[in-house]
Amino acid sequence: MKFVNLYKKELREMITPTTILILVLMYVGMTMMGSFMGDAVDKTIKDSSKIVICDQDNTEFTKSVIELMKKPAGGDSENEVKLVDIQSEDYASELDRLDISDVVIIPKGFTDEVEQGKTAGFIYVDKLTSLSTMANMSTGSSMAKNLIEISVTSALYGKKVAAGQLTTDEIKQLEVPVEITEKTVVSKNTEDIASQMVVSLKTMENMFLPIIVFLLIVYSSQMVLGAVSTEKIDKTLETLLSAPVSRMAVLSSKMLAAGTVAALYAVVMMFSMGNLRNAVPTGDNNYEEQLKALGLTLSGADYIFIGMQMFVSILIALAVALVLGVLAKDAKSGQSLLLPIQMMSMVPYMLSMFVDIRTLDPLPIRFLIYAIPFTHTFMSSENLMFGHWGLYWAGLAYQLVLLVVCMGFAIHVFTSDKIFTLSLGNGKKKKGGLFGKKNVIDESDQ
Amino acid sequence: MSTGINSEKVLEVKGLSKQYKKGVYASQGVTFDVHKGEIFALIGPNGAGKTTTIRMISTLLKATEGDAIVDGHSILTEPDKVRKAITYLPDEAGAYKSMTGIAYLEFMAGIYSDNKEQIKEYVQRASEISELGERLKDKIGTYSRGMIRKLLLARAMMPKPALAILDEPTSGLDIINALDIRRMIKKLAAQGMSFLLSSHNMLEIEFVSDRVGIIAKGHLLEVGTAEELKEKYQTKNLEEVFEKVVTR
Repeated sequence: MKFVNLYKKELREMITPTTILILVLMYVGMTMMGSFMGDAVDKTIKDSSKIVICDQDNTEFTKSVIELMKKPAGGDSENEVKLVDIQSEDYASELDRLDISDVVIIPKGFTDEVEQGKTAGFIYVDKLTSLSTMANMSTGSSMAKNLIEISVTSALYGKKVAAGQLTTDEIKQLEVPVEITEKTVVSKNTEDIASQMVVSLKTMENMFLPIIVFLLIVYSSQMVLGAVSTEKIDKTLETLLSAPVSRMAVLSSKMLAAGTVAALYAVVMMFSMGNLRNAVPTGDNNYEEQLKALGLTLSGADYIFIGMQMFVSILIALAVALVLGVLAKDAKSGQSLLLPIQMMSMVPYMLSMFVDIRTLDPLPIRFLIYAIPFTHTFMSSENLMFGHWGLYWAGLAYQLVLLVVCMGFAIHVFTSDKIFTLSLGNGKKKKGGLFGKKNVIDESDQ
Repeated sequence: MSTGINSEKVLEVKGLSKQYKKGVYASQGVTFDVHKGEIFALIGPNGAGKTTTIRMISTLLKATEGDAIVDGHSILTEPDKVRKAITYLPDEAGAYKSMTGIAYLEFMAGIYSDNKEQIKEYVQRASEISELGERLKDKIGTYSRGMIRKLLLARAMMPKPALAILDEPTSGLDIINALDIRRMIKKLAAQGMSFLLSSHNMLEIEFVSDRVGIIAKGHLLEVGTAEELKEKYQTKNLEEVFEKVVTR
């Protein structure tokens, strides 16, 4: 009985309205993210049945291969095969002209090579628009590579095995029937490298930048929120604000100190992550050159652009944290109040890892995610690498406007009575104690 | 009774009101004054408007009506000058736990002065007032409540303000610490420092203050010395005066 009473008491203390709010927000947030990701997976599955082919050889054999692609043997599903005409080797322009993201090119002479017992070559061109996981799942055209290989092997078996004996060259040809030349297009640049290889090489970098952004936002806001709430609860803030020092000086010193520590963290983390990345061998130094040629490496200027968005994000987080810190009634509520900032950074962080936010459907959801100021910072490195400058500048402009609004509000709170009268659940009127009258309150005399 | 009182007014509160919402006053039309070297105490029940009045005089809250003149400066038009003339000790205030006592005093002295010599002088004075001795070198996190209160009181006294505003200066302290602090206040008042106190403790008020203001329901209902009030209400002590005033 004693234990049950104790257990009930502990539960009552732990399950507060704030705890319930946190649980509800977590449930809603995760469900929403799951829904967004589900939509992205659906789109990928639909895309996986779309094959884009450029048949430059145009023989009975290649036509039969394409027929096989439409309805692969042993499969129940049918693929949508789109035939296109690639007119030049400027693949970036050709993909743009045809409004496609990838294509399998069967070059002229492909059938002849097969018939002459040579390893036949074809080209696979893939345009990368994002480094997120879902955006780079297998497409129909990448599947077509395997189907071509199966078709050629099947044709060879049919012909050679039926003829009786296989020569050594023919066995070799059966082992490696086709040779694929893979090309990756990014913006206007094309390189002879498989898109999956590009994604693999960039995964590490693609992961560590969002981690830094996430940690910096959460950590710096936690510092300011803690500093303000502790000072308010301990009443050291009252002591300071009644001393001959301007409120703006108190406010800006807090923000600057949090910003300085956050910047210190950023620098140390950037170097640490950089070392971690460098420690992982890429195997072939040529890859680095190819990534550079594709525009997928960040220059010094790019880091400045990313740093600008990161800095503005941190300032927004600090301004919001400052107001939230003022709302805190005690240390426990102070920690709970951090949740909105954590959620606002968690959602775009997770989404940017898995989906290409630019293509999120439906449109209102995409704009809802864009409305979270930190989203633009999580997207900044991709925006720069893939040349989405419009999105970068629009994001930065939005962040700056929001910063002015948040900072203005924080300054208003800090320089007005609200710094002392504002707190969560303070909307109810106090009845003036034992002798009080309903129309007389002292919000601060607690 | 403080012996250092003279006729010069350090604080003139004139019709001071704070309205949070239309028709809802935390304090209304509060008028009183404090002379140089005087200890003036505001007493009243919870939610009576003591802290709001004190916060307005300390320039923490903006008055919606009326004004207060502190050492010749208006809280409405010259809040910066007022802040130079006062020090404020909030009720149940804490200090920065990660600092040592001496570091805290140095930090606060640096807020009140830019002059190194003066900062040194302030810290020296505060160290003496606090009577904490070697414990000033320890982190505030290790201090008892009484020690923190003494440190904060010393901080409030160190720049020799024209007016020291102390909200519940001895609340939560044991008898010995409370007596120490009361003696400290009386000693400094005798040296010419003026005090505005608020308290629930009638015995303390009777012992320490020169004049008393009884505040209830946002209104200042009575002002006078403890003797005057006891005579007026025909009571033996201030507690009974308080009861008669606030329940009438």
